[in-house]
Amino acid sequence: MFEKLHNNAGLIFPLIAAGAALAFSGSLDPYLAFVATSWVIFGLLGLSLDVIWGRGGFLSLAQTAFYGLGGYFGAVVAINFAPSLGLSLLWALPSAFVFGALIAAALGYLIFFSRMGELQSTILSYTFTLLLWSVTQTFKIDIGAAVIGGDNGLSNIPGIILGVGEEAKKLKPNAAFACVVFISAVVYFFTRWLMRSNFGKIVDCIRIDIEKTELLGYDIRKFQVLNFAYSGAVAGLAGALFALWANYLNPSIFSVQEALLVPIYVLVGGLGTLAGPFLGALIIGALSFWLGGGAAGGQTTLILGAVLILLVMFLHNGFLGALDNLWRRFLPDPNDAARDAGAVKIDTDVLDQILTEAAKQAGPAKSLSTDEAFKKFGGVIPVNRVSREFTPGKPYSLIGPNGAGKSSFLKTCVGIYRPEGGTIRLDQDDITRTQIFDRVHKGMGVKNQKPQAFGDNTVFDNLWIAAFARTKDKAAADETATRILTMLGMEGQKAVQASALSHGQQQWLDIGMVLCLAPRVVLLDEPAAGMTNEETRELSLLVRTLAKHTTVVVVEHDMEFVRTLEGHVTVLHQGKLFAEGDIDTLRANDAVLDIYLGRGEHV
Amino acid sequence: MNKTLGALCMTAALSITSTTASADVKIGAIFDLTGGLNIYGIQQDNALDLAVASINAAGGVNGENVVVVGYDAQSELSKYTQFAQTAVLRDGIAAMFAGLTSSSREAIRPIFREANIPYFYSSLYEGGACDKQTFVTGSSASQQLSVLMDWAVENYGPRIYIMAPDYNFGTISGHWIHEYAEQLGAEVVGEDYLALSVTDYAPTIQKIQASNPDVVVALPVGAAQTGFLEQFAAAGLKDSIGVVSTNYGSGNQQVVVSPLAGEGLVSAMGYFPSVESDANAEFLAAWEEAYGTDTPVVAGAVDVWNAVHLWAAAANKAGTTDADDVIAALESGLTFEAPNGTVTLEPGSHHLRQDIYIARGDANNGFEIIATFEDSEPTYENEVCNLIDNPDVAEHFTPEG
Amino acid sequence: MELDFLATVLLSSLSSASILLIATLGLAVVYGLMGVINLAHGEFLMVGAYSALTATQIGLPYPLAIPIAVAMTMLIGAIVELLIIRKLYGRLFDTMLATWGLGMVFNQLAVLIFGTVSPGIGMPQWNFQIGDYSLAVYPIAMIFVAAVMLAFVYFLMTHTVYGMKARASIQEPQMAQAIGIDSSRVNTMTFAIGSGLAGFAGAILLPIIPATPSMGLFFAVKGFLTVVVAGPVALTGSAITALGLGGGASVTASFMTSVIGDVFFFLMTAFLLWLYPLGISAKWRRKL
Repeated sequence: MFEKLHNNAGLIFPLIAAGAALAFSGSLDPYLAFVATSWVIFGLLGLSLDVIWGRGGFLSLAQTAFYGLGGYFGAVVAINFAPSLGLSLLWALPSAFVFGALIAAALGYLIFFSRMGELQSTILSYTFTLLLWSVTQTFKIDIGAAVIGGDNGLSNIPGIILGVGEEAKKLKPNAAFACVVFISAVVYFFTRWLMRSNFGKIVDCIRIDIEKTELLGYDIRKFQVLNFAYSGAVAGLAGALFALWANYLNPSIFSVQEALLVPIYVLVGGLGTLAGPFLGALIIGALSFWLGGGAAGGQTTLILGAVLILLVMFLHNGFLGALDNLWRRFLPDPNDAARDAGAVKIDTDVLDQILTEAAKQAGPAKSLSTDEAFKKFGGVIPVNRVSREFTPGKPYSLIGPNGAGKSSFLKTCVGIYRPEGGTIRLDQDDITRTQIFDRVHKGMGVKNQKPQAFGDNTVFDNLWIAAFARTKDKAAADETATRILTMLGMEGQKAVQASALSHGQQQWLDIGMVLCLAPRVVLLDEPAAGMTNEETRELSLLVRTLAKHTTVVVVEHDMEFVRTLEGHVTVLHQGKLFAEGDIDTLRANDAVLDIYLGRGEHV
Repeated sequence: MNKTLGALCMTAALSITSTTASADVKIGAIFDLTGGLNIYGIQQDNALDLAVASINAAGGVNGENVVVVGYDAQSELSKYTQFAQTAVLRDGIAAMFAGLTSSSREAIRPIFREANIPYFYSSLYEGGACDKQTFVTGSSASQQLSVLMDWAVENYGPRIYIMAPDYNFGTISGHWIHEYAEQLGAEVVGEDYLALSVTDYAPTIQKIQASNPDVVVALPVGAAQTGFLEQFAAAGLKDSIGVVSTNYGSGNQQVVVSPLAGEGLVSAMGYFPSVESDANAEFLAAWEEAYGTDTPVVAGAVDVWNAVHLWAAAANKAGTTDADDVIAALESGLTFEAPNGTVTLEPGSHHLRQDIYIARGDANNGFEIIATFEDSEPTYENEVCNLIDNPDVAEHFTPEG
Repeated sequence: MELDFLATVLLSSLSSASILLIATLGLAVVYGLMGVINLAHGEFLMVGAYSALTATQIGLPYPLAIPIAVAMTMLIGAIVELLIIRKLYGRLFDTMLATWGLGMVFNQLAVLIFGTVSPGIGMPQWNFQIGDYSLAVYPIAMIFVAAVMLAFVYFLMTHTVYGMKARASIQEPQMAQAIGIDSSRVNTMTFAIGSGLAGFAGAILLPIIPATPSMGLFFAVKGFLTVVVAGPVALTGSAITALGLGGGASVTASFMTSVIGDVFFFLMTAFLLWLYPLGISAKWRRKL
């Protein structure tokens, strides 16, 4: 009962709150209704940040830019149409929504497609807001009846008008409050639905581990831009509501203070909770209203500053986050099941079956080849003109001492590193310049050195999101994920968060995710690290079975493991191909021993 | 859940702020008591309290006590809108005194128009506001510049350089300087409109030197102005090029600027503390008693003082505080013996006819008045704005070009 | 275009860039060595300016007021690091938000303590002549000050025990730990030095920029952009970026308007970030 309530808290409580607000809107004091309207609007603005920051993982300081631009644009449209036709909402909101989305998409394109660093992205979004702030001070233009007058702003914006025609009057504060609550509730519930949809799940994965999400074959930058555009649209919508509420806009909407106020709303309420920003805006609004009213002599900035510091330090998850943690203590912990996990037992028959079916769906195995692949970092050349072909049948092992360039070679094949020279082919397909996610589409499956699972998500969700990347179909993804889950023997841990698993289990989960992709070429970087002997044996069995159906390349340190693979072994040294053969011949090779032991002329 | 919590906050806010008694006349005040603009806001607010105290001591308005409902706009524009609405919706005020920047006035002007409450804006500004409910007691740019440019051309020469902030106050002032220069047969040899963020004036100082003017009209605001004056003086230009301004001193810049850079700067405004009159002596005595002598009184404070007194006089004349009657009384050619001389409220334009003083900075961070232009008209506002004939106009006029 | 005008523009643009660099260096040190963006940097600058101003008001000569400002800001910096920054280590954006809150607090405290109007200390009235143009000496002297500051920080990082420890902690954190470097003490020191540099900037720039509670804001904003565009190699990177962005904006402002200068600054920032998504120094081999 309480678990159910907990799972649906984001639905039920906001529903009650919105219902209560609507029910009482008529009996509120008009001035209170008026002020509270702005808090709801700020909440909506906060929501737009929560979508891109709390969910998308990018702290955007451009939300007020979209908010202001949406407000201006919506207001200009409303000023021109509403006085004669009424219906100011109908004119302002959709235009602001679309305008906000377009601007955000353009900025997002710049940020995400240039693969900007985290800090750089945030600062660039801030720059955008500041640029608008400088430019709008003197920006003067008449658009029809709307007069944008630089720092004197845009006046005569109609209020919220629901009626049609010239005679329609703007809503009184109480009705306007109800109207804004209703619109915000609609946006909130839509956003909640969106963030729980497949789109939202992918956005969550991007936040948790952007590299892994791309390695699953998702076009992450497209999702980032789309998510940013949606957040811009919500901000624009909030801006239009604000314009109709204030009847006036001015460049100060783009000011530094405004820009930095939005993260406070989100942090106070609870990052990533979606409902939190509304609570945050309400608390901050009420607080600064109360303080500004005289009680503390107008020390609002002082108190807000102190509140921000304390929040960041002691209440990082905000009020809703803290409440959630408290609540969870009284609920059974789904992660308890992590402790009961048994050993993984690979059933080759099941695996064979899965792989055969995968071959039916995804086509035959592909070969991977490099021709003179070359990668350098400054003066270090970890991949020095390596030419090698990997074909299905037997597993390939890449070995070599530390710093030999094994992982670098793998990363170059995957596309994490862009080679300066040479070509990489998947069958005859030149993929040297292909994006990572596209390589995955073409059949590449990659497991990096560290296990990469989406820690906040459950084991099943991890597998599902991998399966969905290939199948693009919910039912098919369900089925694939369930089969891999069963094969890994993790049914009991289905609802456990991946981060609660042991290191070895996370390795298996990661491998499971790669299998969900039904890859035609599999690249594994030190898969046996952190595994017990028993697990390593199972892994060896898995790799050998895998190699019968696909091309498999393994980078490994563990010589015993390499021996059990019974495949081709390639020795890399200083970024170059050094020796080839099976493990026993190489073991007898003095030169190979030399480089491993760091002696003699080959070092 | 989040909204219920909010409702609690709302009730808390409500119970704290709604405790004023009902027999009094309430007037509203919104000034920037905190944040970057409180340099002006605190004095404006002080002047309001002082004026109300003096009115109450003299028997109040129509025998009723005047009570102030004050708000701190925190130098944030959005707070102006919010508090203006609150004052209208909740407090039932008879008049509003608020605002410093033009944008703050433009943000709240429509609110008082709709509510039909007389609104007094008391700050020097670029001019042109025209609205039945709005009354301006500060001087407008054209009002100040018409006398200042005359004086400057006569005393320094006909080559003028304009250095102003790149927003309405600056660009509209620039327009008037051009216009007056033409009338005087002088020439604008160069102009530079600066972003609000500028702290480094080297480029401007070069441009000034390149155009070789006789006088620079320097209009940047606040700290930016003192920065410019320091750099200008340090470059050794102060002796060869005159500097005049219409806002130097409006925020006590003469205190911030070093005596070396400040001495000899010329400013034209509606008030300087060194005005010699009985009304000013009385006003300053009351001010010093209430607030001490730490910071000199700025023009904006006197503008508020005048506004409150004009409103009280109108309400007394009308015998009521009802908006229509008070506005009619305000439009009856009201005059007031203000600290800055006799001021007359122009019925048509709702602006003040008042003395404009030209003062020169002395070596002790003060001003010495060197010329007084009595009873200067707000020419431009009187020309474009006649609210007696066209009571429905609500516009912010800007000169063309 | 006359030669003397060009020379003046060049010299004063260099001075603009130097002023930006002076105001930014503390930020760069903290970012480069701790990976922390201190949004209260502008307020530290302001604290430095007010400290120096107060010192001159009680009768100290200006040159003596500068070390007092540095000491004051270093002390506050150390306290802030111990109480706040340390608790948030590794949480870049949380540190940013916390220091922003701190900036708000400082700003309002300054308003409470000093009011919004304080007397300036005046700029030395020396000037010199290039052709038809007269220039104030003090702003031009900032070119020299910036160079000395840069050399000082470079020396501090390469020739002192603290500097070696600080660099070791950032380049090889585990190794540094293993050989017994107490990285949290190093960090306190780094933050204090960064704050002290901000205080120095506030004090040395006081004759040019009068002390107001919000004086740091625009410097800080441009400073953040400079440091972020510079990227991981904070010292050299920031010097070059300040020169390019600050000097470029100043040249633009000289030939066009200051608004276009600002727009140039912001657009160049965006453009550089687009070209170098991790900062211009992301692929450099040098570390300082």
